[in-house]
Amino acid sequence: MKISVYTVFILVLFSFQAALLYSLNPFGIQPDLCLIITCLVGFRVGQVPGVLVGFPLGFIQDLFSAGPFGLNTVTKAGVGFLAGVFAKNLANRAPQAAFLPVMACSVLSAIVFLLLSRMGMGLGEMLYGFSSILLPQALLDGVVAIVANWVLVRWLLEAPSA
Amino acid sequence: MSGRFQPGVFWGSGVKRVSVAVLAVAFVVFALLPRQSQFLLHTIGQPFADLVAIPLEGMAALDRNMREWWMQYIALQGLSEQNRELREKVQQLTGDVNRLRAQALTAERLAALLKFQKDESIRTVAARVIGRSLSNWYQGVILNKGEDDGVREQMGVITPAGVVGRIVRTSGATSIALLTIDPNVAIVGMVQRTREEGMVQGTSQGLVRMKYLPPLSSVKKGDAVVTSGLTGGFPRGVLIGEVSRVEESADNLFQVAEIVPAVQFRHLDEVLIVVSPRSPEAMIPLDQALVSPGLQNPTP
Repeated sequence: MKISVYTVFILVLFSFQAALLYSLNPFGIQPDLCLIITCLVGFRVGQVPGVLVGFPLGFIQDLFSAGPFGLNTVTKAGVGFLAGVFAKNLANRAPQAAFLPVMACSVLSAIVFLLLSRMGMGLGEMLYGFSSILLPQALLDGVVAIVANWVLVRWLLEAPSA
Repeated sequence: MSGRFQPGVFWGSGVKRVSVAVLAVAFVVFALLPRQSQFLLHTIGQPFADLVAIPLEGMAALDRNMREWWMQYIALQGLSEQNRELREKVQQLTGDVNRLRAQALTAERLAALLKFQKDESIRTVAARVIGRSLSNWYQGVILNKGEDDGVREQMGVITPAGVVGRIVRTSGATSIALLTIDPNVAIVGMVQRTREEGMVQGTSQGLVRMKYLPPLSSVKKGDAVVTSGLTGGFPRGVLIGEVSRVEESADNLFQVAEIVPAVQFRHLDEVLIVVSPRSPEAMIPLDQALVSPGLQNPTP
């Protein structure tokens, strides 16, 4: 039962990001929902669940991505683990506390992507990528993570009992 | 729980150690043996891709229905419908005009018109856009046709309005096409008026540039750029876009033209994948191939 819910959740999340999210993106930058959810799972539940969610999400992203195969699988699983490590070392796990870990994970995974797949990029292109894709996306991921974390805390984890 | 970093938390024990070890090994293998590891993952992932395509198509249908509903019932139903029809007509006519212009110019230079028409015969597979690029680093679309429909990597993707991009990855039921605005896509283009060729390539900024134009070229703003048909994937004479600016390259050896793509990528719903850009046995003229709904399932 748990596995079916988990599988459906992953499929719906991925499909939502691939089919619907592009129409909601402000300024041409869309948040990476798969990364955000992986981070939040790692952040709230722990390193291993973070890896377990990040790995399949990254793998499915790789199946439908034009980039090098396996890059998302490795980075998403790593991000899930790192978010768990972040959480263990944070005293405050309020919704807004998710901002920095998610932003840091977003920056980190983008840097890994650039190092492994865009080595030939010129300095100008690299700077453009940093200022117009990497940083705005990291900020957006952080902001969306605060909202998602708030929803998680308010409605799922601490739902008032009847 | 404390505010200070605890190294023990990183390594942990049992499952966590295994997770760290597996991740480290996976990362090292991926970095050191990129081709082999990618091939392995791609092979393993093929059946999963077909499975994931099902909810993806469902979500895409939901998106389409929502947009259609919005267009039809909220945004002035009658005008919207008329506008859509007119836009489709304009796109078709623009495609036709550019194709015919290319054919006419080529025919003047080539005596054998019949042979040329044979060369222009293309075979296409109609596909629906079911998803968009998941990463901000790539400009691509996910299509609902794959290897089972004869789609292969490096095939060209077009619409009646012009060139969309190129297929870069395929699975049984889906494929991924990178758009012409992506820096990883390069097509040999030709300025329709001057017949000069150059390399049309996307940029990181999401623009399209035509490089390596001769320094004495008279290319100017407003010139139409079409496919030259020299490289695989595209037939000759399909519109890529219109020149919006011309400048000298950094080394002053060539001219570079900035191009406004003919296709509006944000509103892309259906495309045609060029299965065979020069197929004498198919003998389907380009205009028919672009508008015929009967090409949904071409004969192999």
